[in-house]
Amino acid sequence: MKSITFGSKRITVVAWICLAVMLFYSNIVLAATHNIELSAETLPNGQLGYQMISHTSSEGATPSYPTEAVIPGPTLFVKLGDTINITLTNNTNVDVGLNIPGLPAGAEAAAGGGTQSYSFAASQQGAHPYYDEGSQLLGLFGAIVVDAPDGTVQSYVDGDGTITAANRDELDKEYIMYMVGSTFWGAEIVDGTQTPLWTNPVLAAVQDEVVRFHVLSIEHDHTFHLHAHRWLDEVAPAEQGDTPNIIDVKILTGKADGHSFTVKAGTGVGAGMWHLHCHVVSHMESGMAARFRVDEPGASAGNSVAGATPYGAILLGPNQSEPGLVTFEVSDEPGSWFRSARSDALAPITKTRSLEVMSPGSSAHFVMSDTNAVHTITSLIWPSEADEGEQHSIPFDQTKAYRGGATVKLDTPGLYVFTCKIHPYMFGAVIVDDPSTEGLDLGTKIDLVTGIKDLPTISDLATRILRTFFVATTQENWQDYTSTAPWTVSYPDVPVAIGDLDGNVVDNLPLKTVLEDRYGQNVALDPLKTPAENGNPAGVGEVWINTQFEKTAGKTKPGTITVLDTATWKIKRKIALPEINMNHPHNMWSNRDQSIIFQTQWFDNKLTFINQADGTMIDNVRIGDSPSHVMTFPTSDDITVAINGENMVVRVPAGTTVPDVSMPTQLAGQIPANPHGHWITPEGKIVTPNINTSDTGFYDGNTGQILTRPAAGGNFPHGPHPIAVGIGVDKVYTTNLLDHSISVYNLEGSPITTINLIADYDPINPTGPTTLTDKDGDGLVTVGVFPIQTPVDPTGRVVVTANTGGSITLVDTRTDKVVAMLPCDPGCHGVNFGAKAGGGYYAYVSSKFSNRLIVVDPDPNGDGNFADAIIAGTVAMADNSATTDDAVVSLAGMGGQGVLPIPNVYNGWVQNLPGEWKTGLTAEQLDPAP
Amino acid sequence: MNINFSCMSPMSDECPKLICRMKGSAKRTMLSLLVSALPFFIFVTTAVAQSAGQLHQIELWAEKIPAGAEGGNDRFAYQMNSHVISDMDGSNETDVTSRYVMAPTIPGPTIVINEGDEVEITLRHVFDPGDSTTLDQVSVHVHGVHYDILSDGTIEFINLVEDESATPTMSYTYRWIAAPGTAGTWAYHDHNMITLNGAEDRGLYGTLIVNNGSQTAALNQGGQLKTVPLASIKKEYVLFIGDDAFFGMEIDNQTGQQTPLLDNPALAAQQGSNVRFHLVALGTVTHNFAMPGYSWIDPGTNLIISEKIIGPLERHVFAVQANSNSQYMDTVFSSSLLGMKGDFNVTP
Repeated sequence: MKSITFGSKRITVVAWICLAVMLFYSNIVLAATHNIELSAETLPNGQLGYQMISHTSSEGATPSYPTEAVIPGPTLFVKLGDTINITLTNNTNVDVGLNIPGLPAGAEAAAGGGTQSYSFAASQQGAHPYYDEGSQLLGLFGAIVVDAPDGTVQSYVDGDGTITAANRDELDKEYIMYMVGSTFWGAEIVDGTQTPLWTNPVLAAVQDEVVRFHVLSIEHDHTFHLHAHRWLDEVAPAEQGDTPNIIDVKILTGKADGHSFTVKAGTGVGAGMWHLHCHVVSHMESGMAARFRVDEPGASAGNSVAGATPYGAILLGPNQSEPGLVTFEVSDEPGSWFRSARSDALAPITKTRSLEVMSPGSSAHFVMSDTNAVHTITSLIWPSEADEGEQHSIPFDQTKAYRGGATVKLDTPGLYVFTCKIHPYMFGAVIVDDPSTEGLDLGTKIDLVTGIKDLPTISDLATRILRTFFVATTQENWQDYTSTAPWTVSYPDVPVAIGDLDGNVVDNLPLKTVLEDRYGQNVALDPLKTPAENGNPAGVGEVWINTQFEKTAGKTKPGTITVLDTATWKIKRKIALPEINMNHPHNMWSNRDQSIIFQTQWFDNKLTFINQADGTMIDNVRIGDSPSHVMTFPTSDDITVAINGENMVVRVPAGTTVPDVSMPTQLAGQIPANPHGHWITPEGKIVTPNINTSDTGFYDGNTGQILTRPAAGGNFPHGPHPIAVGIGVDKVYTTNLLDHSISVYNLEGSPITTINLIADYDPINPTGPTTLTDKDGDGLVTVGVFPIQTPVDPTGRVVVTANTGGSITLVDTRTDKVVAMLPCDPGCHGVNFGAKAGGGYYAYVSSKFSNRLIVVDPDPNGDGNFADAIIAGTVAMADNSATTDDAVVSLAGMGGQGVLPIPNVYNGWVQNLPGEWKTGLTAEQLDPAP
Repeated sequence: MNINFSCMSPMSDECPKLICRMKGSAKRTMLSLLVSALPFFIFVTTAVAQSAGQLHQIELWAEKIPAGAEGGNDRFAYQMNSHVISDMDGSNETDVTSRYVMAPTIPGPTIVINEGDEVEITLRHVFDPGDSTTLDQVSVHVHGVHYDILSDGTIEFINLVEDESATPTMSYTYRWIAAPGTAGTWAYHDHNMITLNGAEDRGLYGTLIVNNGSQTAALNQGGQLKTVPLASIKKEYVLFIGDDAFFGMEIDNQTGQQTPLLDNPALAAQQGSNVRFHLVALGTVTHNFAMPGYSWIDPGTNLIISEKIIGPLERHVFAVQANSNSQYMDTVFSSSLLGMKGDFNVTP
């Protein structure tokens, strides 16, 4: 081996001398000028792509390009020293430009319909990404390959270990493999003809053909791996060492990256369908795989097979004979979390931007192009037959939240709903419709991620979920309490095919009529009435509410804090923080003296520190991906933040803004727990609802030690999705979002009971008289669908739970039974207790898909019996006259989530309040749980 | 020498190994043949020498490590059951099983071989999958070395031939050839359990070290790039960089003994000794490895570096002379907060 290395090294030296000589001449004699006309186009699925209009070269011959816009864009092969002039015509409705980090082209983007010119020298060898800065993840990317003037390309490792030089003229094929989101976008170049291979193709070559790969990336990190082949890492000539670095995995990192290598197909390993994938585990789990098929010589050997294409079999697609691709952009835009790339065209029909329709065998494609957060792309609902046989991809899920995207081929007709496990109100739906049947195929039976199997689509639960989907994904369907107009929900006016209780197809059912008949339409909203207007007591202090979806003029990201004065029930201030583009403010807590508010940004990675007195920002620090809840230790005033997108609770020492240490929520190497809404016992034990691992974690707040992680839920076999914790005097309450239940433990973590919030609900039958009845025989009809925040009042006597399905349930901690239910709005979400003037407490309840705050008095007469709980009043969260740091422009007051009453009157915290905040509190409120 | 060009598959049993290797080189282009005539003939000589490579017969177990009092999910791990080295014809057997810890470990056993060696590795699925249908297949997919499609360690859905898995009732044997050009440190891992692409991130991974034919390593000695004999490397540290911790394994090169080091271990080295780090990332996160006070040679280059970006299943191998206490670490934001680092203790 030593001798071989020596020999090949000599070859390399000779080659480089030759190259240097060629370079010298090339600058004088051989450098070519390329004049290229490109356009940017909108593809049938709404993605964007570059198209070659013309390419002339002073050298003469130019490649044969695809005649349509393609993803990746046309590959530009040039040589070192060439001059490239590009004119870009933008035929899309967004600004489009051309960025080439490796070869700066220095020009602005062209506005829609405009043109822009770029001119640059091919000054550096290699595969350089070109892309638009803005719409790059939607398809505006391509490659410029700059080769040596003499055509020398990357050497390859032959089966006997020989490092063999190669020239571009000798290559049998070249492949472009662009790694974008969680999808490979491929193209093939044979004898100067470029052919698009679209998504996750089968690249093919005949055994021993010499082929070159150009692997490129934008935005997200990827590691490219090709089974059974190895190649030379690229090293600049001046930096080459004695022995080459032979690799079979290569990272592509940073804003954009490129890597080229040459292999001899199947050398040393033979023919086969060789797997080719990104080795980032979350990308492997989200479908980022293609194939490299090495054939024995033969008639059709070496013919590559294209994957799903934007021109293929989707609703209204031009080519119904090829597998198509629908594309969702994962977005921070409220409602349109999974936004179809062609939603402008579809929404008038679908009445949502988050629904796509395609034929069986086509693929759903997601790309995290408009979000600062980590996410998962997870099956919530799928047709019952879709997980059978060789359909390995359904239910679709990833173990960890990540950045990237997803591609999943869907073969079985029916309704597929995807969600994000971290942000579980993000919904995207695909109807896989068999064009030969009547009506859109919703399928006869669906399975749910919770383990419910074969649910008839005519059932109340199935249509209730459909309705929830249309309400949650469409801003126009949210409840606006500042308007006197009735609440109207838009549904698509299309015939659908569903299944009855016996599994028989019922076709041509008008979806709109079914949903309106079952759930009403044009409902009059209750007029707002503050507690004062209802003759109820004032609150004490302020309530800070995260109006997480409210949009303001100076930000691209949504979300404000609405500060309510509970003495007057007037909005005192709106805080948008345009200077940091505050993104989805989700949950708050305060320091001991109530002077600083800590604010998490759930679709970002920041914790923000805000001056309570004037609403100005003090600091904004990186804390971890998708920070959800924040809370202090009552003992030390240190800050703890649950890092929902990751695997830990991070500590920020009291009086500082810098995180210093984290408490992992699981042992090293275990599946991340992804904690959401934690709570802390007065003694300093941290209790987390672990959404990803279906348990409630109990941790020693001093040592970080894991104490115990008892299971949560119990109604359904899988995925209860524990999401929030409340702690009373001696008990812990964890809500299970998808299990519609509350798990109850003692402070040591031993399970006590599970409260079933849907005991009175009949999910199976069609909506009707059986849907809600007193099935558990407790004399009450109560229901809590999708429960979220669940604090226990400071005295430890009552748990108030906000249920997304639109109800507030109250549990008496003496019996751990639901004792009362109050109405709430769609997306009912946040709740916390604040002091009521003169004694007792109000529970302030926020809702995502409305713009009012509901003030609950759990015990109006103070008798310790909560069956007579009332809504004391309601307050508008929209107020355009309130003091603000940025003008509200839309979704006024919408998106109610985190709620923080000040002063903080919870047991353990109230005792530490400074004097000025103690005034106004009763003796009992100051020591609530003696 | 009788060169048989009709030999169709370099991996088929009918095909003598030496001849198969010849096939590849004989098919090179005329140009490269001419240019490389001298090394070609040297190669023939070397290849003859390498036919004396050794055969490693290995039985590996896939085990479950059940969750303990701290809860969370079960993990899975490989365990060495037996490793016998012999000549290619099976003669001169040496049982080296005692090098290994007889327990499932994360990372799994480090299999150290030489360029030119071959491995027959039989995997047994020895844990009870219970009623879970996603736990009944487990495999070994190896990086870097040669193997044919039946030793890919993937499921039929991917390779279109068969499920190349061990199951509770059937073992599976993979055949690897550390042909010339495959020297390096390579991960092996499951590709078939739980998901389409396996359960490597549940603990089913380990390392194959193929030492090069020249038995040398590159060392940064006082800022000078130096090639030293492998015999001068006292210890090998295998550090898998997971998403939340380093998972370590140490090999004493004098005895061949392997010691599992668990997560974020403290590494110990003797002052002045040469030690080699084998870093392999595994999971979803990109890492930035550093060890303050130390710098090393970036493989394939003449560059001396002091930090390295490493993505999942990339590997980075370097040797240093132990001369001062330090800490190895991953400097990316979340990794730092999670405490992804460990001591590197140098003792006189």
